Amino acid sequence: MDNIGHGGKEIVERILPRDEAVKKVEELKQKGAPEIEVRRQIATEVIDIAYGFFCPLEGFMGKADVDGVCKNMRLADGTVWSIPIVFDISDEELSQKGIKEGTEVLLTYMGNPMALFEVSEVFTYDKQEMAQNVYGTTEEKHPGVKRTYAYKDKFLGGKITLLNPPKINPVFEPFFIPPLEMRKRFQEKGWKRVVAHQTRNVPHTGHEWLMKGAWFQTYGELPIDKPYVGVLVNAIIGEKRVGDYIDEAIVLAHDMLRKAGYFGEHNHMTSITFWDMRYAGPREAVFHAALRTNLGLTHHMYGRDHAGVGTYYGPYDAHNLLMSIQDDLRITPTFSMNWLYCPHCGEVTYEGLCNHKDEWQKYSGTLIRSIIIDGVKPPRLIMRPEVFDVVMECAEKYGFGSPFVTEEYLEKRTPVFTIEPLK
Amino acid sequence: MAETYPINIWINEERFEKLQQAGLASMAKEKMAGLKVLPVPTNEEQKDKILKLFPMAKFDSATTKSIELLPREVKDRIFDLIIQKKTLDVIDDFIKMVEEERK
Repeated sequence: MDNIGHGGKEIVERILPRDEAVKKVEELKQKGAPEIEVRRQIATEVIDIAYGFFCPLEGFMGKADVDGVCKNMRLADGTVWSIPIVFDISDEELSQKGIKEGTEVLLTYMGNPMALFEVSEVFTYDKQEMAQNVYGTTEEKHPGVKRTYAYKDKFLGGKITLLNPPKINPVFEPFFIPPLEMRKRFQEKGWKRVVAHQTRNVPHTGHEWLMKGAWFQTYGELPIDKPYVGVLVNAIIGEKRVGDYIDEAIVLAHDMLRKAGYFGEHNHMTSITFWDMRYAGPREAVFHAALRTNLGLTHHMYGRDHAGVGTYYGPYDAHNLLMSIQDDLRITPTFSMNWLYCPHCGEVTYEGLCNHKDEWQKYSGTLIRSIIIDGVKPPRLIMRPEVFDVVMECAEKYGFGSPFVTEEYLEKRTPVFTIEPLK
Repeated sequence: MAETYPINIWINEERFEKLQQAGLASMAKEKMAGLKVLPVPTNEEQKDKILKLFPMAKFDSATTKSIELLPREVKDRIFDLIIQKKTLDVIDDFIKMVEEERK
């Protein structure tokens, strides 16, 4: 497998070796370079840029890229890109720190040096226009729009170099597999094709079958003498809201599907990507295609209403948008209808197959959560007992008694990653 | 008949035993591959009051048309009322009880 990522560009990690990074920080401090303590969202995007998750981006976008992304869903060089990756800053901070084009800024997180930001552009952008173009609405109740409106008044564009890689906390550490490392793992496994399963959920059997269905779709005409196809669960780890599943439960429950034998080492892996979901529906689907291309995947499963919210997008808008740009992508979308339980068949089946329509019992994320809240173990046809057990174990170990995010979890949880002092 | 919106109380062995003792076991329905559930009906007005009293709850308008995500303690109290009164028609009493407590 080569290391060519989204847009046909080579994936290059923008990370300085530790000794050089220490020197660079000393140099920046000596010359009195401005420092900016970044918030968690920006810190995660710095990591994504530096490790190549966002290839071909080498930094935060300048105005031409933002404009191209908003208006044409393309970067200034014509590469398909659907969501602006921006670094916002207030006028006050800008003048206070004397930042202008050409300034080298030391980004810090948790009070420690994190990255070098070579500012090449300072610009403004109409946030309403950004919201309308990216999310198709200017309504603030859309979480992506709300995030856009919360951006400060100015944006900085420029290249990022990571000086101090994150320390991933033990639960998540094995699952943080950046693009270049991920590609090596796929090679070691001998997988010729890998299909992505995007998730922010604890898996019920509907999810399991979405993955299994995608595996069949991806396998296609390949020979069956050896396992040539894998499913990569790529959990999005980012901003949490009260009521979401806790991150630990999502990741460990997915991993349990393999450990408990519903998949195997030969066809399944679990991984994480840091990203705050924008719920941009079809545009987020395109963004996920770029992200997973960079991770080395060849296929991406898209179900109904991928990454949507409320009623902003039609259930298959993402499919249609992806089909319209297929020639510009280096990943093949596999589209899926819903899986459901049919009491007549006595099994989990597929909307496109089963004809006992009046008897169908559809999965509802809300309903499954309701069962879990009641502490009732669902039948194994609906949720695997090992998955249920690990979710409840996570509730005790990491969730302060709840598998769902609470105010207490938000306040006291161990962060997914930290930036340690640079020595 | 006016539409009703159930609160689904999922039934484990302990709850099923209590339902049997109260002579209400037949009210439990099978849903999702044999899982037992007690659908406690609410009318439009009761549904709105419940959602207002417990803002973490959600009306699942897309799939099940039911009130979901009520905390377990809330469902336990509704369930206990059902067992005590031997009827599913307890929502008005429950709402009154909660409103009294919050005064």
